[in-house]
Amino acid sequence: MTTRNDPIKHFFIWPALIIVLVISIFPLIYSLTTSFMSMRLVPPMPARFVGFGNYADLLQNPRFWHVTGTTTLIAFISVGLQYVIGLSVALALNSRVPGEGIFRVSFLLPMLVAPVAAALIARQVLNPTMGPLNELMSALGFPNLPFLTQTSWALGSIIAVEVWQWTPFVILMLLAGLQTLPDDVYEAAALENATPWQQFRDITFPMLLPISVAVVFIRLIESYKIIDTVFVMTGGGPGISTETLTLFAYQEGFKKFNLGYTSALSFLFLIVITVIGLVYLAILKPYLEKHK
Amino acid sequence: MRKLLLTSASLGVLAMASTGTALGCDPDYTGVELTATTQTGPYIASALQLAAKGWEEKTCGKVKVVEFPWSELYPKIVTSLTSGEDAFDVIAFAPAWAPDFTDFLSEMPADMQKGADWEDIAPVYREQLMVWNGKILSQTMDGDAHTYSYRIDLFENADNQKAFKDKYGYDLAPPKTWKQYLDIAEYFNQPTNNLWGTAEAFRRGGQQFWFLFSHVAGYTSHPDNPGGMFFDPDTMDAQVNNPGWVRGLEEYIRASKLAPPNALNFSFGEVNAAFAGGQVAESIGWGDTGVIGADPKQSKVAGSVGSASLPGSDEIWNYKTKKWDKFDHVVQTSFMAFGGWQAAVPASSTKQEAAWNYIQYLSSPAVSGQAAITGGTGVNPYRISHTTNLDLWSKIFSEREAKEYLGAQKDAVTAKNIALDMRLPGYFSYTEVLEIELSKALAGEVTPQQALDSVAEQWNKLTDEFGRDKQLAAYRASMGLPQK
Repeated sequence: MTTRNDPIKHFFIWPALIIVLVISIFPLIYSLTTSFMSMRLVPPMPARFVGFGNYADLLQNPRFWHVTGTTTLIAFISVGLQYVIGLSVALALNSRVPGEGIFRVSFLLPMLVAPVAAALIARQVLNPTMGPLNELMSALGFPNLPFLTQTSWALGSIIAVEVWQWTPFVILMLLAGLQTLPDDVYEAAALENATPWQQFRDITFPMLLPISVAVVFIRLIESYKIIDTVFVMTGGGPGISTETLTLFAYQEGFKKFNLGYTSALSFLFLIVITVIGLVYLAILKPYLEKHK
Repeated sequence: MRKLLLTSASLGVLAMASTGTALGCDPDYTGVELTATTQTGPYIASALQLAAKGWEEKTCGKVKVVEFPWSELYPKIVTSLTSGEDAFDVIAFAPAWAPDFTDFLSEMPADMQKGADWEDIAPVYREQLMVWNGKILSQTMDGDAHTYSYRIDLFENADNQKAFKDKYGYDLAPPKTWKQYLDIAEYFNQPTNNLWGTAEAFRRGGQQFWFLFSHVAGYTSHPDNPGGMFFDPDTMDAQVNNPGWVRGLEEYIRASKLAPPNALNFSFGEVNAAFAGGQVAESIGWGDTGVIGADPKQSKVAGSVGSASLPGSDEIWNYKTKKWDKFDHVVQTSFMAFGGWQAAVPASSTKQEAAWNYIQYLSSPAVSGQAAITGGTGVNPYRISHTTNLDLWSKIFSEREAKEYLGAQKDAVTAKNIALDMRLPGYFSYTEVLEIELSKALAGEVTPQQALDSVAEQWNKLTDEFGRDKQLAAYRASMGLPQK
């Protein structure tokens, strides 16, 4: 019989620990080290230590703040819409509205499409001369709309694709949450003559809050990483008006091979996401505690 | 006797086998396996593969084509070259990367640099794009110059001819000047008939700047001052905001207004689709436009695809005197947009002789000619013979289309005034700055002058960051100018 102090445990634990360290920690440390260096592959230049130089350059670069703002705008608006639409649909599905069976089968489809493919479809749909949307507009006597070439329309189009693609995920999670809510609470509320709105406000929403917080958190982080949709639909244009943080990092890293700068950008990106996550959780903590 | 003969023959075969030679292999590269690398196919990779098949049959050697996505290709090649490892025997790369590669490439064997096949390569490639500081370090395997495409049916319509002459005072024909190009675009810009004037790439990251360069080349590539289009070749000061550039950008923006809606999101693929889809009367771009437009499976305008050289100008900015020089004729300036894929052999390769032999086969008139007319290879004409063999092109064009297409391609690579594309270390850093400012100017957020002033300032900053002397030396080499 083995005991807690049996040295054999080291034989099993240490290899796994070392593998985890090598795979996850080493790249992070290497990347962090690179972020303090001036390191360019193109044109090849000898690496040199610049301390916080890359970080200072980035923080003084108006483009960094612009892409941070754009990413934040896309993330917050699209996740907000995903949550509102997702919750409404999940409530409808949970109430077994007519046609709910067909919807359950089909609503997951957008989520299963690769973002690049979704963006390509959107680009075709929004095509001004061959796209069905503008053809319909023309048939109804409206002018062609600059969906992908004017900043506000382009941002709206990207947000629309994000909402179309990821709302099913929100529905799925919230529906699962709704189905775990106990029936007896609703029965008690019904006995007290609580209206459906009161039931939603005082029972459903508060009890769904923990899963809502988690879903929004996951989607927010994922939305901050958006690149493929933007890359395909607008390429970050016009100008840099729809460029996001990851697309900016891609341009610096894979087109200009400015590795030190890109590493610093990645860490700043990590900091931005961490700060947003912490603020988000701090704001919601009292509500979560209250409805525990 | 029969026995004796058989025995002798068997001994002969055994002797040849033991020394490694094989019957029918010329030259014999039995046991030699080359590793060639380029971007993920079909473009260019399929040309390498097609040639590999023929070369393997001819020489009994083997070629393994390793493909990398476009974004991965540069770092894969540059890291293997700088580390000195023998990873690739043949590299096929974008000419803009040449400045970073040339220190690590082997020189083309002398016997490849003579004879009819050598003379057949268009001079701009043979004497400029394949040469670096006097040494021939690569072989062009694709020709890339911008030309002009137009709709023959629209241009030769009697009503159009009359109405155009009434409005503009001269005959409707392929334009000689950029002003005429815009007049034609303006005339045919008839959205109510689902027809627009022109199509060019305007999308950031969608080859847009090469289209701007074509406009600008007509106003800045001065025949007396070669190599002065992008930078002053004496000081490396950016020339990108001089009046020639500003005029080119103004006209490029004007072209965007005469293009189909959403043209600001056009990359070259959409340009071809717009032309082949019959949406536009004219366009500029690479040779693919004509080939796609002539293909009835992909095009609504097959049979009506006309081609010509890029328009030019009778006024060119002289960066030395800082004045417009007026010419008594239109100077037709050809722009070598992108410049064509290059094939080279790293100095670290241990199979250099076989590798150069493969490149010689790949770029031979017969093999490259077949690749040029095979859709999907991405190979455009770069040999004189590619542009003179009408029989070869009659498979995809009508006789008139073929004549015009080949004439335009030939004129593009043999023009007296040819503007070379920018090839500099840190190329993407320079072009990214330009792309961002261009997009702002196209969107009307800044004026052309403001956009180009900003580009000039940032280009000068980049040049200082990368080392002005080093960049100047590379720029002069890329423009075929002697070192200072």
